[in-house]
Amino acid sequence: MLLLQFLITGLATGALYALIALGFVLVYRTSRVVNFAVGEFLLVGAYLTYTLALLMPLPLALLVAVPAAFLFGVLVERVFVRPLLGRNLVAVIMATIGLVVTLQGGVQLIWGPDQKYLSGTLPDLTVQVGGFALPSRSVWYLMIGVLLCAWLVYLLRKSRYGVLVRAVSESETAALALGINAPRVVGAVWGLSAALAALGGGLLALAGGVGFHLAALGLKVFPVAILGGMDSVAGVLVAGLLLGVVESFSMLYLESRFAGITEAVPFLIVLLVLLFRPQGIFGQGRIERL
Amino acid sequence: MNDGRRKVLKAGVAVAATLGIPFVARAQSKPVKFAALLPLTGPFAFAGNAALEAFRDATEYVNEVKGGIGGRKLELLVEDTGYDVAKGTAAFSRIVSRESPDELLFVYGDSTGLSKALAPEVARLGLPYSATSFSSELADPKTYPTIFVLGPTYSDMMAGLLGEVRRRKRAAKIALVYSNSEFGKDPIPFAKAQAEKLGMQIVAEEVTPLSMPDATALALKLKQAGPDFVIMQGYVLTVEPLLVRAAKEQGLNATFMGTYYSAELALMQRGGPATNGFVVTYHNAYWYDSLIPAVEKIKQFRASKGRSISYKTTYYMGSWFVVDVLGEAFSRAAKAGKLTRAGVVESLNNMGDYNADGLIRSMKFVNHRLPYIKLYRANVQDGRFDAITDWITVG
Repeated sequence: MLLLQFLITGLATGALYALIALGFVLVYRTSRVVNFAVGEFLLVGAYLTYTLALLMPLPLALLVAVPAAFLFGVLVERVFVRPLLGRNLVAVIMATIGLVVTLQGGVQLIWGPDQKYLSGTLPDLTVQVGGFALPSRSVWYLMIGVLLCAWLVYLLRKSRYGVLVRAVSESETAALALGINAPRVVGAVWGLSAALAALGGGLLALAGGVGFHLAALGLKVFPVAILGGMDSVAGVLVAGLLLGVVESFSMLYLESRFAGITEAVPFLIVLLVLLFRPQGIFGQGRIERL
Repeated sequence: MNDGRRKVLKAGVAVAATLGIPFVARAQSKPVKFAALLPLTGPFAFAGNAALEAFRDATEYVNEVKGGIGGRKLELLVEDTGYDVAKGTAAFSRIVSRESPDELLFVYGDSTGLSKALAPEVARLGLPYSATSFSSELADPKTYPTIFVLGPTYSDMMAGLLGEVRRRKRAAKIALVYSNSEFGKDPIPFAKAQAEKLGMQIVAEEVTPLSMPDATALALKLKQAGPDFVIMQGYVLTVEPLLVRAAKEQGLNATFMGTYYSAELALMQRGGPATNGFVVTYHNAYWYDSLIPAVEKIKQFRASKGRSISYKTTYYMGSWFVVDVLGEAFSRAAKAGKLTRAGVVESLNNMGDYNADGLIRSMKFVNHRLPYIKLYRANVQDGRFDAITDWITVG
């Protein structure tokens, strides 16, 4: 029973990791940009939700924050990323690092530095099994994380827009030659990434309040993305869930013997993955001809 | 010939006086400076900015209401650390190399990590220093004779909490939950030794990051251990609300406790009803403590400036207290004709008769810290912390 409790708890946290990491991987696939500002996207999403929750019920605020964050993501791509595309990759990476500082400063200017919290809650979905309560927020994490990721994977494979995204991911030049408006596709993917981060940020804020600590949680997308494979959307879902479970089991079995190990476990896994399967579990190995 | 020489001498004296007096006057009008290294950006920006507001308000108060420091103006220098030791160290070096030692008489730093990094240099410079940190290692007058902890150390706070545990239940089972940081780890060895001394059992010891996405697994782990009390250290209202709520959901019936940085109303706002009964240590005054003269004084001053008198956080109150104490120490040093770094240290060491209008029990240092606390309990219904003890002297 105890094992099952920790498994479900880990899956719930992992679903949230997957949700946030999915946007990160989509951006990497379409534009080859490692978005270091993913934590700040979470932050912006949480603050957007906070503002909207002052004006409307929380569930509605979360729903409105998603398209608002989408527009924000499109804007970021247009202003920060697109002018640098085609330039040295280091320049683009530096731009996203600059974005980290810009967004943190912007959030502080707009919303101030005070600690905030979301008013209201989502409908209670607590599941009671014997002595174990799967809290409502875990059920929401699982539902939103798993279902949304699965739906997006399906869309990428089956929908027309998904095919366009995959085409741009394969070769932007070929996509342009076929008449696909690649910049618009890339912009939309950045928007989607921001929207997913906003949803993740909103859910995290619901649990622990709105504040700059949320940006640090964005760091979790790196082990998830590397484990799943930087170019594998389905891999992200599996890796997110896996990492959540590993953390949960580490808390159960290792933490008492090696205090603080749970924090390090995801990055130890990344190290092993990079050593033995650099493309991640589900990523495709690429052979480059020189 | 003599008359002539006298005339020349008199003229010389007159010229010297005319040219010299402005220099004397300028020396007297030199400001007395103190520097604050604050986390104005980054994860602790909420505390740093609240502190800055208090530093500015209280500096104005000292200059305008108290007439400055022996006629000289008190001047505040501010640098942002971003809660980063490297950035904070650079800011400290910038300030001490730029400012003259006879003008810069005090530095206030942020974080346990930064303060420990700066401590040897602070001691070498003979620079009076304090910080947002209440680390036990800093309260060591033999090694760091110019460093003062303006409050109880984290170990003192643990002693206060464990005393309360003992009062409520003998041979209690304790769980320690702390962040993987200098701030989190600081009082843990003391807490473990003290708990053992008091006949208590440490049934769980959990280390976590400063922020977490969820605490259900941690709550389940604690539930397995079955503690009567869970003491949290090294968080600033990020993990506490998560864990308390998750513990409640999993049916863990333990009393949660925390130290100074958990003693802010946001705990209840973020954690909701689950945080009711959360016990904290605190050693200044809350904004709503209307019986404390300092609180009324601050409110009146802000009102006279046309500033809002709505709720101010504990970070604000603690920072006002720092400037109040500094102003008093500087003034006493000036009165004794010793407005130097050494004079300020001497002054701080002899302020046992001062209590900053009720913002602390007493400024009587014991090993360069003020081992006085009160315990408060979260009252979610009223949205405030209620005092459950009078002043306690610990350690």
